[in-house]
Amino acid sequence: MLLTAVVIVLREVLEAALLISILSGLSGVLGLRRHWIGWALAAGTAGAVTLGASIDTVSGWFDGVGQEVTSAGMQVVIYLLLGVFILMVILRRQRTVVRDRTLLTVMATTVALAMTREGFEVLVYISGFVMNLPQLMTVMVGTLIGSGIGISVGALLYYLLVNLRQPWSQVSGIGLLILVASGLASQAALLLIQADWLPSQLPIWDTSAVIAEDSVTGQLLYAMIGYEATPTAIQAGCYIGGGLLLLAVALVAALRGRSRRGNE
Amino acid sequence: MKTFLHRVIRLSILAGSGLAPVVFPADRPEFQLEIHNHLFQPSEITVPANTRIRLLVTNSDPTPEEFESYELNREKVIMGSRAGVIFVGPLAPGEYPFFGEFHPKTAQGRLIAR
Repeated sequence: MLLTAVVIVLREVLEAALLISILSGLSGVLGLRRHWIGWALAAGTAGAVTLGASIDTVSGWFDGVGQEVTSAGMQVVIYLLLGVFILMVILRRQRTVVRDRTLLTVMATTVALAMTREGFEVLVYISGFVMNLPQLMTVMVGTLIGSGIGISVGALLYYLLVNLRQPWSQVSGIGLLILVASGLASQAALLLIQADWLPSQLPIWDTSAVIAEDSVTGQLLYAMIGYEATPTAIQAGCYIGGGLLLLAVALVAALRGRSRRGNE
Repeated sequence: MKTFLHRVIRLSILAGSGLAPVVFPADRPEFQLEIHNHLFQPSEITVPANTRIRLLVTNSDPTPEEFESYELNREKVIMGSRAGVIFVGPLAPGEYPFFGEFHPKTAQGRLIAR
């Protein structure tokens, strides 16, 4: 019971914690204020409560696949916001005017959406035990432990990131965001496959013998880079295509700045 | 930007919901599972291999459960006293374990593709 609670909560918290730590690490590196995190956490909690409370209705949408479609929609929006964020960070380096406020809003929205998606599941899980006080206590202790581990891993990544030398901290922060975004693109595809909105195929490979998805490494890689042991071609295509698209955006923006500086 | 994003989201939802039934007809063979006292009934279910199926999971418990399977790459919350649809496969012949993530000690099952 306790272990189950720890694992469930950790899995959900980890994804959001990694995203928050990369973005707050980049905020520090870019000299931005970090008050957006408070807003994002508040909005994310409100979002998770709202989605958790209305999941019955949401699940019924689109002939019973509303849960998948809503979740995939959120993943796609987070992917797009991360793309916009990466572009703005690079343009800002080139002294193109990018309002700090816009940058902070994009980060806050991204984190709030990620928390909504991950948090609602934890709330639904806990809600199953409200009628049973002893079990509820165990689940709450598990929730605290799971959140604690997730937040610690996030903090570790944060300090690794901010202690790198410039420009490596920015480059690795953006690199990590691209990996996270690729994972989101492939997860969105998987959800739409599950909803029967995208055609399903047999997996193109199986690496579960090397890294099992339910192992600690597998879980960590899943949260970080969207690791999947048995992806289908559509998922792999979305992962690689989604990653290359953001990489191209980042490179074009960076090179444009360099050539402009050369002309001056 | 905001209105553009809104428009894109609305258009894609419209396109998706309009096209989905046309491109992917809903005549998938249906199989049913029930969750009762945090157990899957039946706990073993045989389905045709290389076929996409529609799995209807009914949760008869008052508490929520999450159908989960690493082997099937599926994950879905099913609230108490509700049912959920999960499309699975096509699967290569073999055994695919699944479990209820909220009660993994008892809620265990296997899907056998033949």
